[in-house]
Amino acid sequence: MASSGDARAPAAAAGTARATITLKSSEFRRGREQSWRDLEGLVARVEKRGVRSLSVEELQRLPLLYRATLSSLSVARGIALDRHLLLYLENLGLRAFLAVYGPRVGLWEGCSEFLRRGFPEAVRGARWHVLIAALAVAAGVAVGFALTMADEAWFSSLVPADLAGGRGPSSTRAELANDEIFAPWPGPTQAFAVLANFLFTHNTVVGILTFSLGIAAGVPTLLLLLYQGIMLGAFLALHYNRGLGVEFLGWIAIHGVTELSAIILCGTAGLVIADKVLFPGRYSRVESLAIHGRAAARIAIGAILLFFVAAILEGGFRQMVQSTGLRFAIGGVSFLVWLAYFLRAPKEEPP
Amino acid sequence: MTSVLDRTTDFLEGASRNRREIVSPEGVPLPVELADYGERAGAFLLDLVFWLLATILIFAVLVLLLLKGIDIEVGASVATFIAFLVRNLYFIHFELSWQGATPGKRIMRLRAIDRRGGPLLPGAVIARNLTREIEAFLPLGLLLSLWLTPRGTPIWEEVSLGAWLLLFTCLPFFNRDRMRAGDLIAGTMVVALPRRTLLGDLAEATALHVFTEKQLKAYGAFELQILEELLRNGGTSGASQVRREVCEKIRRKIDWPAPVLEKDTDHFLAEFYTAERAYLEREQLFGKPRLDKHDQGGATR
Repeated sequence: MASSGDARAPAAAAGTARATITLKSSEFRRGREQSWRDLEGLVARVEKRGVRSLSVEELQRLPLLYRATLSSLSVARGIALDRHLLLYLENLGLRAFLAVYGPRVGLWEGCSEFLRRGFPEAVRGARWHVLIAALAVAAGVAVGFALTMADEAWFSSLVPADLAGGRGPSSTRAELANDEIFAPWPGPTQAFAVLANFLFTHNTVVGILTFSLGIAAGVPTLLLLLYQGIMLGAFLALHYNRGLGVEFLGWIAIHGVTELSAIILCGTAGLVIADKVLFPGRYSRVESLAIHGRAAARIAIGAILLFFVAAILEGGFRQMVQSTGLRFAIGGVSFLVWLAYFLRAPKEEPP
Repeated sequence: MTSVLDRTTDFLEGASRNRREIVSPEGVPLPVELADYGERAGAFLLDLVFWLLATILIFAVLVLLLLKGIDIEVGASVATFIAFLVRNLYFIHFELSWQGATPGKRIMRLRAIDRRGGPLLPGAVIARNLTREIEAFLPLGLLLSLWLTPRGTPIWEEVSLGAWLLLFTCLPFFNRDRMRAGDLIAGTMVVALPRRTLLGDLAEATALHVFTEKQLKAYGAFELQILEELLRNGGTSGASQVRREVCEKIRRKIDWPAPVLEKDTDHFLAEFYTAERAYLEREQLFGKPRLDKHDQGGATR
């Protein structure tokens, strides 16, 4: 009995006449093959030249063809035993999935959206972490100040030589005032190309370390925050002992408001990571990290932009302003600007 | 019948440790293949070369146009700054506009995808690329500075810092999904995405040979897919020799009365494949899938 097909001519006996065979899976394939090939063409173009290379009509067809192909895959898994066909559909389905669900924004759109909403929103969402990070820095300042006030020899052990830049227990009031705080402006190339640049690179590396070491339960993050505070406190005590406390604060205020905010935000991001690793809630630790890591990364990226602004202020403009009062004014204004930015930026719309 | 598909792939390609599955938002499971360490290193090296070339190009243009006759110190800091800016924008820009692929990844046919099958969000792309700074560029810079430092200076700080950073760099070797720290934070993984083309259907429309149900019951889906692979695999002399042997085996197993001539081997196999597939697909449609030749029916998948 001829049983191998759904429909078969009865004449097939010894091999003279040809029998017709109809496979359901072959018919299924014939009916849909064209739409698969259309999808393949669209996906190949998206892969090569991006989503923007598609016309409006093609953009509308892409998700339709994608869903049709996924349903073809589901059907084929049920009825077809053609291994090659299944592998092809799985591959095409995955490629189309990536094209359909890929990021839809370009670099600049993504950046502006990030600045207007993503960054301030993420910072607002982590207000307790901000508080802890700020407290860690404040505690560092207190410790550094107290230690250096008690014995100035601490200064050299607390501040590494390349950051101290020759300043130390042996510095006199005149040296500190004339060579650093009221030093003349070094000119545009030196100020912007060398100094601002060095400061930015150095601060960014410290900031990124503070953020990403949060993965180690946040202990290195807190230590780094504390240490940044300690160095600031040590400098403050050194100047205070020479009657330059107010001038030093003014000198710091001009860029320090921005720079300290950036350090605190990097710490915040690290602490968010640590929080989610230590207390993953109902997720596994890795899942929890994946869900909340993006918010933390948003804070860290924003902080790096703040470092950039701070470096321009510090390296480029600080020495142009020689009056302490004006310096405090600039510092105060920058504080208000950042405060307004973080508190008043529009809320993120639900997706 | 994914299980049969997996089994055939295991049989043909060996270990299956690289395969993972994501579920698309439509609820369809899609298998993905993790990228090899070598492929990822290759992609990164290519990107490194592109980044260096872009940096040098921009720097050269800048020096020629704007900063004639600058001193070395200024030049070096401008160069570092450009390098920093270019590498971060490069990775983020390309992964955003090429759906998770940088030029290096594209050449190696790799993609960064969301680990749970969701859309790849801009935030994730930015997060996974910013982390490169400590995973790759900080240790690289450290290596460079160690190499440039004259011998005899105390370098223990650098060495211990390097070892600490290396822990981050080597993270992909210590987890199942080969995630680096950036993947971990962003919830992504890197997969290999080869392109498959649709080849013709092997099933023939008409047949000379007719097989009985008893003869077709001798095999199951697994054997069918191995036969399919054999038929698709080219015209080399080795393959045709194997086909000849397989043909003889099948003939003996199903008690095919007439001998099959050497020139008719491929023809006989193709017709047997068609008949077998038609039979097995129909049985599967009726709820009696036959996984392999040992499957006696009635068993669930």
